[in-house]
Amino acid sequence: MPKIVHYRNKCIGCGICYQQQPLYWRMSKKDGKATLLNAVTKKDVQLLDVNEETAEANRSLIAACPVRVIKLM
Amino acid sequence: MKKKVELLAPAGAFDCIQAAINAGADAIYFGVEQLNMRTRSSEGFTIEDIKEVAVLCHANNIKAYLTLNTVMYDHDLQLLRIILNKVKQHSIDAVIAADFAVMQLCKELNIPLHVSTQANVSNSEAVQFFAGMSDVVVLARELTLQQMKAITRDIERKNIRGVSGELLKIEVFVHGALCMAVSGKCYLSLHAQNASANRGACVQTCRRAYKVTDAETGEELLIDNEYILSPKDLCTIGVIDQLIDAGVDVLKIEGRSKGAEYVQTVTQCYREAIDAVDAGTYTQEKIAAWEQRLATVYNRGFWEGYYLGHPTGEWTKKPGSAATEKKIYVGKGRKYYPKIKVGEFNIESGSLKAGDTILITGRRHGAVKEQLHTLTVNGEAAVVANRGDKLTLPVATVVLPTDKLYKIVEEVHA
Ligand code: SF4
Repeated sequence: MPKIVHYRNKCIGCGICYQQQPLYWRMSKKDGKATLLNAVTKKDVQLLDVNEETAEANRSLIAACPVRVIKLM
Repeated sequence: MKKKVELLAPAGAFDCIQAAINAGADAIYFGVEQLNMRTRSSEGFTIEDIKEVAVLCHANNIKAYLTLNTVMYDHDLQLLRIILNKVKQHSIDAVIAADFAVMQLCKELNIPLHVSTQANVSNSEAVQFFAGMSDVVVLARELTLQQMKAITRDIERKNIRGVSGELLKIEVFVHGALCMAVSGKCYLSLHAQNASANRGACVQTCRRAYKVTDAETGEELLIDNEYILSPKDLCTIGVIDQLIDAGVDVLKIEGRSKGAEYVQTVTQCYREAIDAVDAGTYTQEKIAAWEQRLATVYNRGFWEGYYLGHPTGEWTKKPGSAATEKKIYVGKGRKYYPKIKVGEFNIESGSLKAGDTILITGRRHGAVKEQLHTLTVNGEAAVVANRGDKLTLPVATVVLPTDKLYKIVEEVHA
């Protein structure tokens, strides 16, 4: 099963992931960073098991994130 | 009476703050979390560091300003509030900002505000406008000396006072990287790679080499320099007397993404230059010597920016730095013996021998450069220290495991 990984501590809160994929991402009002919805968070790294379709929908974010903190595994 | 100008140094990490203190800065500026223009390039400080920065600076009698100069979005506002509350709590001396949300919140919380160069203030009406909410205005970097002078004269003539009740102060950049766009108005990096410079994520698209091709014929146009978007760095050490004479109050050095040795060298040169102007001992020989020292650390070649009224910019001739010295990492701190003031370092790469110039950077020392005369390796006198060895040497301040040891070598440029 593919996994979306978000290294949240390095996120600069630019909002591009949320603009491109609002179904999966939110901008946290608490600390201004992006949050991957429904993900498990371990030590500031967010992990979410997804199906192929969701993985595909988020694939473009790997390159779109300016600090490259979104990965697909 | 001549007024005293303030020398303001950049700090991207604790070792830079110490370096600025050692070199004689009057104040430092720093950024926290993701709300500053160097989020990509510098280690950065966290909200928790605000207290330590304030304590360290105030204990050393220098001021600390927090830079909050990115574009702010709605989702940033809560974080912004949290940061500003810490600023208030720990008496950070001022906030540097260009976004109206920050200005508004500073007013609400009674925090002194400095208007960032990102606001592009270029005339005295704008200065007057910002006087209602700030104490210092950083001018746009694209003004000439005459334009600056006209503004400072207007402040005195019209008695323009800041929030504190004192005459509004004018700050200008004296050294460091320049932007090919009017500061803060560059969207090149955002367009090319989604990476907004105004969120501190600039990928320096402007610093690359470019070719100009005629799209219709496919013919390449001849240009004499491929770095057509990359200006040389600002250096005003040779005209610092004119800047002071223009009536500015604060002289600012750019470079929150630079290392402690950069902060140390540049701050020290400008400290000496300002003091020399003050003492009436500012000479061409000294200027030449300072220029030589400034060239040893990161630079893209120097020019006096737009201050002398150059119609167009001067552009870099090559990629990266033209620094005449390079630092090579050799190891890190291990232990400190306070009684005998000796530090121990682990050599992790390369080697060191007597005669080499070393650089130690760390939060307690800033940046200390010295020549190795004798070597003590693994407890015994030796001629060379290699990878895996333990090197001990006298160090005046505590050596921490986060300290880094470098070898300084000359860099030859073609
Ligand atoms: S695109 Fe990257 S940096 Fe921007 S908000 Fe999303 S995760 Fe953070």
